[in-house]
Amino acid sequence: MRAPNEVDFWRGFALVTIFINHIPGLYFERFTYRNVSLSDSAELFVFLAGWAMRKLVDGPAHALSAKWLTWRLESRAFQVYVAQLVVTEFAIALLAAASLYLDAPFLLDWHNASAVFNDPVAANIGVVLLTHQLGYFNILPLYVVLIFIAPAVALLHRAATAYLLLVSGTVYAGALVLGINLPTWPVEGTWFFNPLAWQLIYVLGFLFAGEDGPGGFVRRHRPVLRWLAVPVVVLGAAVGITNFSPDPVFVPEPKLLFAFSKTFLSPARLIHCLALAMIFAGTFATIARWLPRLASYLCLLGRNSLTVFCVLSLLSLCGQIFRYVYGGSIATDGLIVILGLVFLGFAGWAAEWRDRMRMASKSPSL
Amino acid sequence: MARQNANGKQIALTIATCWWLSMACPQAEEGGAPSAPPMSPPCDVPGSDIAAPASLPNVVAALQNGGQEKVRILAIGSSSTLGNGASSREKSYPSQLESILEHTLKGVDVVIVNRGIAGEVAETTAERIRNEVALRKPDLVLWQLGTNDALARIPLPEFEEIVRSTIRWLKDNQIDVVLVGVQYTTRLVRDANYAAIRDSLQKIAAEEKILYVRRYDAMRFIAQRRASLQLMASDNFHLNDLGYHCMAEHVAHALIVSLFAKRARPVQN
Repeated sequence: MRAPNEVDFWRGFALVTIFINHIPGLYFERFTYRNVSLSDSAELFVFLAGWAMRKLVDGPAHALSAKWLTWRLESRAFQVYVAQLVVTEFAIALLAAASLYLDAPFLLDWHNASAVFNDPVAANIGVVLLTHQLGYFNILPLYVVLIFIAPAVALLHRAATAYLLLVSGTVYAGALVLGINLPTWPVEGTWFFNPLAWQLIYVLGFLFAGEDGPGGFVRRHRPVLRWLAVPVVVLGAAVGITNFSPDPVFVPEPKLLFAFSKTFLSPARLIHCLALAMIFAGTFATIARWLPRLASYLCLLGRNSLTVFCVLSLLSLCGQIFRYVYGGSIATDGLIVILGLVFLGFAGWAAEWRDRMRMASKSPSL
Repeated sequence: MARQNANGKQIALTIATCWWLSMACPQAEEGGAPSAPPMSPPCDVPGSDIAAPASLPNVVAALQNGGQEKVRILAIGSSSTLGNGASSREKSYPSQLESILEHTLKGVDVVIVNRGIAGEVAETTAERIRNEVALRKPDLVLWQLGTNDALARIPLPEFEEIVRSTIRWLKDNQIDVVLVGVQYTTRLVRDANYAAIRDSLQKIAAEEKILYVRRYDAMRFIAQRRASLQLMASDNFHLNDLGYHCMAEHVAHALIVSLFAKRARPVQN
């Protein structure tokens, strides 16, 4: 178990926020930071994923050859991919069980699940190919793609780091200018989180985590950049509060560059997320000093982010079903949040307990 | 170019003919809605149970300015748009609506893109609308919504804020929007949230002066007058092929009446 650190803390924070944001209509959703922000926890989560990848590449995986580094990262991608399949299947079973128990066939529709029941031949292929994604279960598919390309990111960084941002930025710009996104199937549409756009914030997380290059530049000019970030965060807060979006008539082409699209991670959202990171980076030590239990709890979640993410996805679905049955009062919503946070903590604790048992017995994985 | 001009004249002629027919239509009350394509016997519902006409200025402008050959429509929403319960994708309401409109608007290529995702709440659809609009630049958005927000117990003010802000954004984008309301189903007839969302959609449409297709009223009329007709699939929640056909006819009726009304009256849904 690694010591509490800033990345795990903010990952844990992002996970709790995602849990609450994934229960539409929940009373306490209004207290999450997306209401006073242009970007939200999805950007933060992916940015930190890139950051953590750099720490891995520069740390434990530093001495690995290209072949073994690729093997290690692709193994992780496969692990996340399997987690996505398992959690999707659990969600489908949960909806099916609720539908039967409550005699509520419309629950089979929720979050794009209906294709699995109405068109199972195609939809099951789509689930495995990640072209059929349930609503609110669509961050992990993005994550799978990002870790899948992670070896390319790491090896390009090793070979010619100056080209990494150029390549990533070009792919991002191409996606926004040409409006390219990955298709979904069998339900016609596109990915909610466009990997071609979102890879940039992952790569930026990777680059800013380093001591050299862009990361070094940021560290050297931190006071100035922090001041520059303040108006961006204030403007983002104004946008979040007023629900402002640019007047599309006056926005030049290509409009996706100037819109506030989440799917395409429009530049405004990207810059806002970076500004937030700039302002809050380094605050962990203070938070841990004044709120040690909170810091410890969020670090526990962040250290076990994949397990916790899978559990929170299912818990948020349980919360939605609970709200359907019992309505959405402040009391019941409070109960959902409290139980959810307890279960998330338990999931993190159980994951570490299992690791400790495994280490103690020195036996291969069960 | 010659072909374009010819088609443009044809469209103008169609509009003029429809307009003339609407004026000459004996069924039309004085100052009332002009006639629309006849509905098939199972789907026939009084126009007053479908929608009050509202202006569709951007679609009209697209048809009149420069003899446009194509009307691009984005049909977005949840399972009723996707076509859950239909025997095939061609039986979904957007597919059937495309045929009806092309038949009515002779010479106009009506292209409807179906972007239904089952079980989606308005907040998520609103995000997709902005992306789809940026990429496809439709002339008209048909937004079918409400049921999943009612079932997810979304607070009414939150729902209304999302719908209103999206409507205004579409208006700013010079795109017409039609709200396609919730369906009539005995499963949810006593659900207070369902009724509240239905009333809310009506209120929003009236205040925003946009077209609102009252599916609930139209389907209830059919259920009460033709009880033997089965519009629902076996789960008594989704529509079957006939249900989707009626839905397409009702939306088409509302669109055509609104398109060819001399001047849309204030909406009093």
